Amino acid sequence: MTRRAETALLVAAALIASGGTAIVSATADDRITLDVVAAGFANLIASGGLALAAHRWAPAARRLLLPPVAFLAAIGGIEVFRIDRDLGRLQRWWLLLAAALAAVLLWVLRNRGVEVLARFRYLLLVASIGLLLLPLLPASSPLGGATVNGSRLWVRLDLGERSLSLQPGEAAKLLLVVFLASYLAERRDALVSLPRSVGPLSIPEPRQLVPLLLAFVASFGVLVYQRDLGASLLLFGVFVTMLYAATARRTYLLAGGVLAAAGAIAAARAFDHVRTRIDAWLRPFDDFAGNGYQAAQGVFALAEGGLTGTGLGNGAPYLIPAAATDYVFVAIAEETGLAGAVAVLAAFGLVVAAGFGIALRARDPFRALLAAGLTLVLAIQTLLILAGVLRLMPLTGITLPFVSYGGSSLLANLLAIAVLVRISHEERT
Amino acid sequence: MTRSIRSLAIAVLGGLLAIAVWLTYQQAIAAPGYADDPRNARADRPPVDDARGRIVTADGVVVAEDHPEGGRRHLGGSAYTHLVGHDDLGVLGSWGLEATRRHDLASRDDGSISAWLTELFGGDLGPPDVRITVLDRVQREAAHALGAQRGAVVALDPRTGAVIAAVSSPSFDVDDVATGALTDEVVAADPSHPDLDRTSDVVYPPGSTFKVVIAGAAIDVLGETPSSTYDDATSVEIGGLSIANPGRRPCGSSATVTLADALAGSCNTVFAELALQLGAHRVVEAAATAGFDAVPRWELGAARSSLTDVDELAADPFALALTGIGERDVRTTPLHLALVAGAVANDGVAMQPYVVGSVVSPDDEAIETTRPEPWSTMMPAETAEALTDMMVGVVEAGTGRAAQLPGTTVAGKTGTAEGGGGPHAWFIGFAPADDPSIAIAVLVEGGGRLGEDGTGGSVAAPIAARVMAAWLEIAS
Repeated sequence: MTRRAETALLVAAALIASGGTAIVSATADDRITLDVVAAGFANLIASGGLALAAHRWAPAARRLLLPPVAFLAAIGGIEVFRIDRDLGRLQRWWLLLAAALAAVLLWVLRNRGVEVLARFRYLLLVASIGLLLLPLLPASSPLGGATVNGSRLWVRLDLGERSLSLQPGEAAKLLLVVFLASYLAERRDALVSLPRSVGPLSIPEPRQLVPLLLAFVASFGVLVYQRDLGASLLLFGVFVTMLYAATARRTYLLAGGVLAAAGAIAAARAFDHVRTRIDAWLRPFDDFAGNGYQAAQGVFALAEGGLTGTGLGNGAPYLIPAAATDYVFVAIAEETGLAGAVAVLAAFGLVVAAGFGIALRARDPFRALLAAGLTLVLAIQTLLILAGVLRLMPLTGITLPFVSYGGSSLLANLLAIAVLVRISHEERT
Repeated sequence: MTRSIRSLAIAVLGGLLAIAVWLTYQQAIAAPGYADDPRNARADRPPVDDARGRIVTADGVVVAEDHPEGGRRHLGGSAYTHLVGHDDLGVLGSWGLEATRRHDLASRDDGSISAWLTELFGGDLGPPDVRITVLDRVQREAAHALGAQRGAVVALDPRTGAVIAAVSSPSFDVDDVATGALTDEVVAADPSHPDLDRTSDVVYPPGSTFKVVIAGAAIDVLGETPSSTYDDATSVEIGGLSIANPGRRPCGSSATVTLADALAGSCNTVFAELALQLGAHRVVEAAATAGFDAVPRWELGAARSSLTDVDELAADPFALALTGIGERDVRTTPLHLALVAGAVANDGVAMQPYVVGSVVSPDDEAIETTRPEPWSTMMPAETAEALTDMMVGVVEAGTGRAAQLPGTTVAGKTGTAEGGGGPHAWFIGFAPADDPSIAIAVLVEGGGRLGEDGTGGSVAAPIAARVMAAWLEIAS
């Protein structure tokens, strides 16, 4: 893609952000405010700033990634603003901050490239585990854990009168991917050779399975102690798929699948918070006023949207609990219909395809695994939350990358994009 | 590694594709099923404006529409007060088609993109018209014929169940209340209750019209024929109490009377005896077959017809005998008796009554069309045929002579039931007898303009004749 085309697409995304915000203000509030201008500028400054940073510090990078990301941020920004004006305004600042930090990351990597990251891999592993455990700190400390919607994955930073809530798990997953990419790139050969076999299936040595089991225990620990089904599945899913990417051994996928299924069955039996999710998934209308309410409202919202949607500002997505975060995709499907929702899916398809493309053209196994891992983080999150809100599986509280409201998530996902951009640059130098 | 990354990429993109397919199913195919769910708050999304459609009769008369200066006007006047009604009139509340068809009359433009697209492609989402099966000419004739008398007229097409006229009297003009010429409190406090819908909301003893049901049971169950004969007594003693014919007269000129003549002369003695012969269980069963334990699905809602409990009737022969002549605790509505008359006219099958024929968009596209449906098979076709012959006799030579029409054979049955301040005068029937196109029930409370002297034959039958004549003039 030429630079001119990228610029045109980024401007188009900003115009979508402004136009959508204008429609929302006009239909829902009957007046058009400065939000319209702010939405477009925030989107353009964020994406354009990141594009300039990439041009300067990763000039050879492919330009396929930023336009769909800017489009997703625009759609997400409109819908979050539509559901909650204040969250929508806040989201703009998060977008600007995240883009700024992503640009800073490109600057950090400007000379030595992503190689720098591999050098500190054990430090990153420790940091990742530390960040995962952070929410378990007592709530009274200045940097205390906090329980939101039954999940303990937040940290509240007390700043005098105000406090800032962060989800350190969002950053932890990135650090984990960097560690895994570096570790697996080095140990690939040991993991690839599966000496024994039973029938068509190759069986690894018991010690080859140790990392897989460790990852499983860690993920299950997240489920038990932080009560977060989504983060747990995401961590395990990323681990298993990266292991498969590194070794091309289906045995690991199979073993991971068996472990996940066993873990899911055990969790469904042992934990009420998992069981209520399963009930709400399978029979939302049986307990309409209770557990099934959110899922049932989601079904109604999709039905109301139909092919072309109710129009921005004309639907009632606010009837769905967590419309701006978990259910933002359903809110989009209600107001822009199947047409708008499929456009969002297509944008995700572009991001994922571009990410895997970068992995396939990467210079060495570490970069390939890092690119694949970062893409998988985005892809698995997307598939988990979409399948959850559309009732193809139980709902897991997780954000839809770039679209849902949430500063930590936006920050982590844009940093992932920055690293992908940098890897893309390094493939040719 | 290339191979594994490539398969992961395919898996992820396949997952997105699967989600797109599932979403298409949810939004395009499964969606309409959720729109009517009562728990779906979205279904109530208000239209962009509060313009409402018209209510138009089968002969093209607009009886209700939006007033150009705002509000609603009811051009049909007091003849349509109970049928068309009003959507929120002070203490009188909401009733009639204006209330039951509130949703149909509203604009379908809900401001959505699909509404905009529909309009773009030439659809008209403006407020639809509700087309009713009532004929204004017949409705007005019924209201005129009732005049100041308290009562009701229900006329319907026995072949379809389409209501031709439904008038309740006394009435008032809803627009008078809206303009302040009359207040809602005055209407509500009026002792003659103009706010009551006597066509279907109030139950009355059917009196001798119920003999149609008993005669049908006698033919069906006891194997009697119209020419079966009975003692022509002027009164019968049952358990020390007596039931007499009107005026304590015999029905015929000889010692015995046929079933046909007993119906024509409305002999209480014969039908009291028939009820006793049938017994409590079969009388109650016959009533149930004629719809006395059910409520017809009627646009405006109907009161339930009823009679005395079967155990009580089995223990009390006098009550059973009184039930046989439509007294005691037998209660029904004019709507229900019109359906019974309609069943006799339609080979024994009562059709589901309906008054909204279709809902039509401003560009003449039918949004909803009512299909006639049978409600209940009340008797075998042969019984219906025998009853028709006997009911023709009622009008030709019996109590219903006032319902005769020149050039048309009318079948009918009168009823004169005990009521406060004069008898409830009834006439039920249909015409033409050989190919019926209208079935009717007329009720006049308190003997109408004749007071204590009023009977079904003298008060109700002439009204029925006028209404049927008005219909036949248009229909033929």
